[in-house]
Amino acid sequence: MSRARHRRVGATLAVVATAGVFAFLVLTRPNPIDAAAVPSHEPDRSNGEALYHAGSCFTCHAPPRETRGEKSLPSGGKPFPTPVGTFFPQNLTPDPETGIGRWSALDFVNAMWRGISPRGRHYFPAFPYTSYRFMRVEDVLDLRAYLMSLEPVRSPPREADVLFVGLTRRGVGLWKRLALDDRTDAPDPSRGAAWNRGRYLVRGVGHCGECHTPRNWLMVLDEPRALAGAPHPRGEGQVPSLRGLVARERYKDAPDLVLAFQYGETFGYDKLSSGGMGDIQESLALLPEAELSAIAEYLISLP
Amino acid sequence: MKSPKRPVLALSVTATLALGVASWAVSDPTGTDAIKARQETMEGIGDAMGGLAAIAKGEAPFDAAVVSKNAGTIAGHLEQAAALFPAGSDTGDVETWAKADIWSDRDMFEETLDAAQKAATAMQSVTEEAAFRPALGKLGQQCKACHEMFRRPKD
Repeated sequence: MSRARHRRVGATLAVVATAGVFAFLVLTRPNPIDAAAVPSHEPDRSNGEALYHAGSCFTCHAPPRETRGEKSLPSGGKPFPTPVGTFFPQNLTPDPETGIGRWSALDFVNAMWRGISPRGRHYFPAFPYTSYRFMRVEDVLDLRAYLMSLEPVRSPPREADVLFVGLTRRGVGLWKRLALDDRTDAPDPSRGAAWNRGRYLVRGVGHCGECHTPRNWLMVLDEPRALAGAPHPRGEGQVPSLRGLVARERYKDAPDLVLAFQYGETFGYDKLSSGGMGDIQESLALLPEAELSAIAEYLISLP
Repeated sequence: MKSPKRPVLALSVTATLALGVASWAVSDPTGTDAIKARQETMEGIGDAMGGLAAIAKGEAPFDAAVVSKNAGTIAGHLEQAAALFPAGSDTGDVETWAKADIWSDRDMFEETLDAAQKAATAMQSVTEEAAFRPALGKLGQQCKACHEMFRRPKD
């Protein structure tokens, strides 16, 4: 090969590589919401507290067991193992340095809806913004108000233990193009208010589908099989299906499921305490009964 | 003349039989029998728990005799439970949801079972209705703790 030909091949490769990097950077660019999408809103902290329990936020944002004090504050850091790697969830207390103390309302909504940090980086979807995006903005702001009212705890962030973490994190932008469309969930007018409330809580803040819905090969939730059960994310058994709960004799009816949420094993309901659901049940038990009834009505209705 | 050999003979026959049974049980390549036995035990616990839950839900009246009997059943089953998870019984011809941690973290497993058994035993002496719910809550917490640590989720 002549030297000129070498040079041409080299130049072509350089152009292709540059174009590839450029395309990657463009396609993975974070897509934050517009500041105008965050209305001025008088936050309702008690609603925020209910949402905090409905989402079982503490279950994942707990401190590591060894540093856990008497108060259950969501200061983060407890390892969250997944097949992709281990994550160390964010400190949700309002500590200005290490928590969400300096986050604006817009920062918080961007995190919840778009999975983007205040510094403009992608969150890994172990933080289930794919569900939280269904939350109404007022609810997101109420949740923020509740978190801001907690006692601040210093708990520095810790980078995820994932292969090529910087590149992979940026690559989440590609995944978001598949998994994070602009679909919104309109209420179903043929159903009652409680059913719609239940669906809203299950699909949004409750993020039940993140474990109970199977994923396709691209790790995107397989919506036609929503809540039909899936392999456990930690590879230990099967996350049960939430469909046909009565037909499959898991629960008698919606009030029976409400009792299971409220009392779990105390009332002999032994199905809610495996694979991490036990903590979630304890969190759900703190919800007002009307909210639990709504969730149960929706779930029991699933064929 | 009564032969002193007879009891010795009987003893050796028994011992041989016992050894045979034991070695058969040990050489069982799968944990099928152990899995079946413990699943039956768990069902027995579940039924007894159901009787207590019925009182807690208000479906049945508080009856100290029923409480004591059911709690005794649970305590008795739990006393046997650790032995139903022998080494090698993590798989078998029937499906099991027992996690490997049962065998890799045996001390923790037995401690947790022990705590559950104590909670059930304490429940046996509940005579006042006011003490019933708290006692049931403690027992439920122990059931849950063990299930969360040592049982895989299932559909």
